[in-house]
Amino acid sequence: MSLLAPLALISGLIIGPIIVAMYLLKLRREERRVSSTFLWQRVVRDVEANAPWQKLRRNILLLLQLLLLLLLVLALARPFFRTTGIAGRNLIIIIDRSASMSATDGAPTRLDAAKQQALTLIGQLPDDGRATVIAAGGQTENLVSASTDRRQLRAAITSIQPRTGGGSDLTPALTLAAALSSREAESEIAIISDGNVRPLDTLPPVPATVRYFPIGQRSANVAVSAMAMQPSAAGQTLFAQATNDGPEAATRRLDLYLDDQLFNAYNLTIAPGADQSVVVEVPSQVRKAEARLVDETASDALPLDDRGWAVSTLGEATTVRLLSPGNRFLEVGLSRLPGIKVTVVPTSTATFTESAAQVPLTILDGIVPPTLPPGNLFFIAPPRSTEFFSVTGQVDFPTLRPTPGDDRLLRNVKLSDVSVLKANRIQPGTWARTVVDGDGGPMLVAGERDGRRIVVLAFDLHNSDLPVQIAFPLLLSNIVSELVPGSGADTAQLAPGQPLALLVDSSITTVRITHPDGTVVTPELRNGQAIDSATDALGVYIAEQFQGEKLVARQRYAINLFDAAESKIAPQAALNVPQVSGLQQATTSERVGRQEFWRWLAALALVVLIVEWLVYQRNGIAYLRQRWRTWRARTAG
Amino acid sequence: MTTTQAPLFAPTFLRKLDRLALLTRRAMAGEMQGERRSPRRGSSVEFADFRPYTRGDDIRQIDWNLYARMERFFLKLMVAEEELTIHLLLDNTGSMDWGEPNKLMYARRVAAAFGYIALSSLDRVTVTALAAGPAQQLPGVRGKRGAFPLFDFLQNVPGGAGGNLQATAKRYVQAARNTGPLLLCSDLLDPEWKEALRTLSTRPFEITLVHILAPQELRPDIDGDFRLLDAEGGASLEITADLEVLRQYDEHLREWRAEIEQFCSGRGINYIFADTSVPVEDFVLANLRQRGVVR
Repeated sequence: MSLLAPLALISGLIIGPIIVAMYLLKLRREERRVSSTFLWQRVVRDVEANAPWQKLRRNILLLLQLLLLLLLVLALARPFFRTTGIAGRNLIIIIDRSASMSATDGAPTRLDAAKQQALTLIGQLPDDGRATVIAAGGQTENLVSASTDRRQLRAAITSIQPRTGGGSDLTPALTLAAALSSREAESEIAIISDGNVRPLDTLPPVPATVRYFPIGQRSANVAVSAMAMQPSAAGQTLFAQATNDGPEAATRRLDLYLDDQLFNAYNLTIAPGADQSVVVEVPSQVRKAEARLVDETASDALPLDDRGWAVSTLGEATTVRLLSPGNRFLEVGLSRLPGIKVTVVPTSTATFTESAAQVPLTILDGIVPPTLPPGNLFFIAPPRSTEFFSVTGQVDFPTLRPTPGDDRLLRNVKLSDVSVLKANRIQPGTWARTVVDGDGGPMLVAGERDGRRIVVLAFDLHNSDLPVQIAFPLLLSNIVSELVPGSGADTAQLAPGQPLALLVDSSITTVRITHPDGTVVTPELRNGQAIDSATDALGVYIAEQFQGEKLVARQRYAINLFDAAESKIAPQAALNVPQVSGLQQATTSERVGRQEFWRWLAALALVVLIVEWLVYQRNGIAYLRQRWRTWRARTAG
Repeated sequence: MTTTQAPLFAPTFLRKLDRLALLTRRAMAGEMQGERRSPRRGSSVEFADFRPYTRGDDIRQIDWNLYARMERFFLKLMVAEEELTIHLLLDNTGSMDWGEPNKLMYARRVAAAFGYIALSSLDRVTVTALAAGPAQQLPGVRGKRGAFPLFDFLQNVPGGAGGNLQATAKRYVQAARNTGPLLLCSDLLDPEWKEALRTLSTRPFEITLVHILAPQELRPDIDGDFRLLDAEGGASLEITADLEVLRQYDEHLREWRAEIEQFCSGRGINYIFADTSVPVEDFVLANLRQRGVVR
């Protein structure tokens, strides 16, 4: 404990003796001549014999006053403890609100503990200090910028809600913080997180001191890591997988619910890092399945990922139109995709009568018809230019270079072994993003234009060995999933935070989306799409399309966490953040914070003051009590 | 605080006192002829007894009618009527000269009223002040003429000196020539009050104790920190008076008075309590009468 204003103690040295002197002056009691002290002697003897502290009692006021003085002087001297905290005047707090922060080993959750830590830091802020609050995880939000208003800061911190989706990427938050801190001297960045974030090593050095406040203690967690329901010969096959992300072997009971009825339970014992799956045949009329991990030892720290959902894709096949001179690979690959029904149309077809709602995707294999069909388009080796791109020639033996980053289309796809004989040279419009680049032109582009999703593959499948690679069905599945949301391999499976985009017909008037908690959202229809972006809650979403009052389609979407990075909740003791000062690691437990507690002393002084007053007025109080007693006795009698 | 010049009574009160007389529970011997029955035989008109004649008796007292009937000599004895000596003992120690109304003044008035009643029935009255120092005594006055020296003496009894009640009582008991009704006006605020009363009751006085306390002693109106100074020069005392202490005081006062009363009834002492806030006139005319001291 140290003092900020030790000079204030001198006031105690001055006022203390004054109080004592005044007390001594007052101690010259008023003299009263009585006939005899004979009776009083007996009283005093009795009173002192009955209560040994009676002798003290005459000094109790002095003692209380001195105590009051001591407390006030100490409060004036502003004592403080050194705590882990901050020392700067411009504080930037980054609070991790990702799914792993929902672990229940905080108070009660990690996020609550993080908020508490942030409030403590706000309390440690010097009087003229400013603070910025940034919530990271999912979308980075700058809640308060460089504010001195503690109330506003506290309100912003308290309002932070956990985000299940979006992962925990502190990079944007830290970049923003770095930009903010470069403008201000004495800046400090406080990262309050459990440390399960994407590596930050590659960031440019941050021009401020970065302090890391680790949150969380436990790391035991078993997650439902995958779940799917696929049509099968007998009905449907339900697949559920549980992964132990904790450091020790765990025993769990996996309860399977079909349409909210308990179907079966399995006892699982899973080694650390391993997973265990359950495959079970379920009747074909089941629409919805739920897996719940029940932890009887209550050691699981993250209940969020203990549940998983899958919805049935049976009988909800999406029609895909295929214009092809004959492509065995494509036909076989598409037929293997669940929930997809392929209609092969003659290559001479020039008019397309079906609407986008009936046929959401058309695959144009080596053909570009004079009028493009409605809906989403997948061009394979387009022979001529269209309104979306131009074809300018041919490329021979292009090498395939996937663009860095995790493109959705390349999930689980490895293209390094693929060789291509020749490809069309394509120049896409500005709408497109290049997914796979090649010599002389992009090989795979994807994008969205006027509400239509378009994917262009630059080479014919027959001119490459792609169809015989394992990458082909995966790539095809990813492309179909991209172009027909709510179909494909991960049928109706969405990650939290990912917007639920429904392609709707122009005849559809209303779309109602029922969330797992029962709330109903009616998103606006724009460009043939209904988008609901509030998909943070896990569970089954039901989307219904109406034509006026008539229900024409109902789709179910399961939103699952299924995020191995978030399920690994073991708190990290250190966080690597390169800093301008040369440090590569965020400082964790340096005791630089000042926890002042003069307010408590002042509050205590107030209590002592009240006690002193009560002691001084004890006669009046006793009189009132006596009056009360007699009054009560009278009313009772 | 001694109001020396103030008259003790209003004349109308004295006229009321004229109608009162002292009561004694038994006959007591006096020195001179008076109006009280004496245990001795004497020469009044009231027959008392016969007794056989023995040689040397006054032959004037032989009852000749009886001799005519029984042919033996008998003396006819008459009741002697003698004066009584009324002992007025006035505690004028420091503690008595205190209070509002003043206790000593009250005691003076009670003693004066008592003495006046006695004088009006031709009894002898002696007054003694019980403070330390040279004994202050009015040796004995008789008859209504004696009222003036009595009042004069009482008015001039000084107050304020310290004193030892027990020592002066002892001295008085040893010096008193004869017994009789004794009126002790005191506040008994003396640790040795018991011994003093015991000493007085060693001789067959007919003791009436008028226990005088001021309202300030009965209900002290102090609150806070005080140093209490003893009026008789005793040790001072520091108290912190709060309701609890005052409650204790009240309890002790009650116990003390009950103790005195019990002690007195055990020794045939007539105990009368006097609160100086009650006017002396009412006290004498009502309380003394009620307690059978005067008639």
